[in-house]
Amino acid sequence: MASSLSAAVAAVAAATRPIKSRAGIKTVLSLAPRFQSLRRLSLFARPQPLRPNPSLSIRCFSALSPQLKSTLDTVVNSHKVLLFMKGTKDFPQCGFSNTVVQILKSLNVPFETMNILENETLRQGLKEYSSWPTFPQLYIDGEFFGGCDITVEAYKNGQLQELIEKAMCS
Amino acid sequence: MARKIEEENEILERETGEGRSLGGRGGRKERMRERLGGKLNPTELEIEDVSHMHAGHAGVRGNSSGETHFNLRVVSKEFEGKSMVKRHRLVYDLLKEELESGLHALSIVAKTPSEV
Repeated sequence: MASSLSAAVAAVAAATRPIKSRAGIKTVLSLAPRFQSLRRLSLFARPQPLRPNPSLSIRCFSALSPQLKSTLDTVVNSHKVLLFMKGTKDFPQCGFSNTVVQILKSLNVPFETMNILENETLRQGLKEYSSWPTFPQLYIDGEFFGGCDITVEAYKNGQLQELIEKAMCS
Repeated sequence: MARKIEEENEILERETGEGRSLGGRGGRKERMRERLGGKLNPTELEIEDVSHMHAGHAGVRGNSSGETHFNLRVVSKEFEGKSMVKRHRLVYDLLKEELESGLHALSIVAKTPSEV
C-alpha cells in the first residue's frame, strides 16, 4: 500500500515538472533549498545578488500544482492516520519524525507513513498544502493535526488517543 | 566593491530594522526576537538555539550559518481563542523569512497568559 501510494505521488510530482518547464517556469521550487546555498556561494564571487532578496522571488512560485493537490486530497482521505515524515517508520531520519512514529506505535493503531525526503516536489508541495513549513506532519481522518510538538502535547493530555479512537470508529 | 555592498547592506539593515542577510552571518535569534516581539507583544519570550544538537543532520547539510534549530516559548494574549495549529501557524508566518533562509526546525510552546 505504502509503495503504491508513494509511486502515485511520485508520478504526479514527476508529471508536473515538464509542464512547468514547458510553461517557461523553471523548476525553481525543487531547487529552492539548494538555491540558498548556491546564493551563498555566489556571495564570494559576486556580492551584488544580496538585493533583491531572493526569497521573495521564490515565493512567487507554487510547488502545489492542481494535480498534486488532488492527489494529496485523495491520499490524506484514504488513510485514517497518515504521517508525512523524514525517513520511514522503521528508519526515521529525524528526531522529530521519530518521536511521532514512536507515539503512534505505542498507541497500537495502524498508520501509514510517507517519506518526504524521497521527493522534493512532494516535500515543497506539502508545506503549502498543509500551510505548515516543517516536518513531520500528521493527518488524522483527512485533517491536518499538527507537527511534533502538537502531537506530543495531545498525546500527553489524551486528546490524541481520543481523536484517533474516534477516527477509527468513523 | 564587496566592501561597499556590505556597508550598504548594513545601512539598509539599520534603516529597515531587519536583517536582510540570509544566514551565514548569525543574529537569527535577535531577528526572531524582533519579529515575534513586535507582533505578538508577548509577556514571555524565550528563544534557545539548539542547532548544535542537530549538527550533521540531513536537513542541515549545506547550511553554513549553523542556526537551524530553535526552541521557542511564547506567552501572548494573541493566542487566546486560537487552536494549537493556529498558534503555531501564526508563529511560522511571522518567521517566514527565517524559514526560507535556513531556519530548519522550531520547537514551539505557545501559551496564553491565563494558561501559564
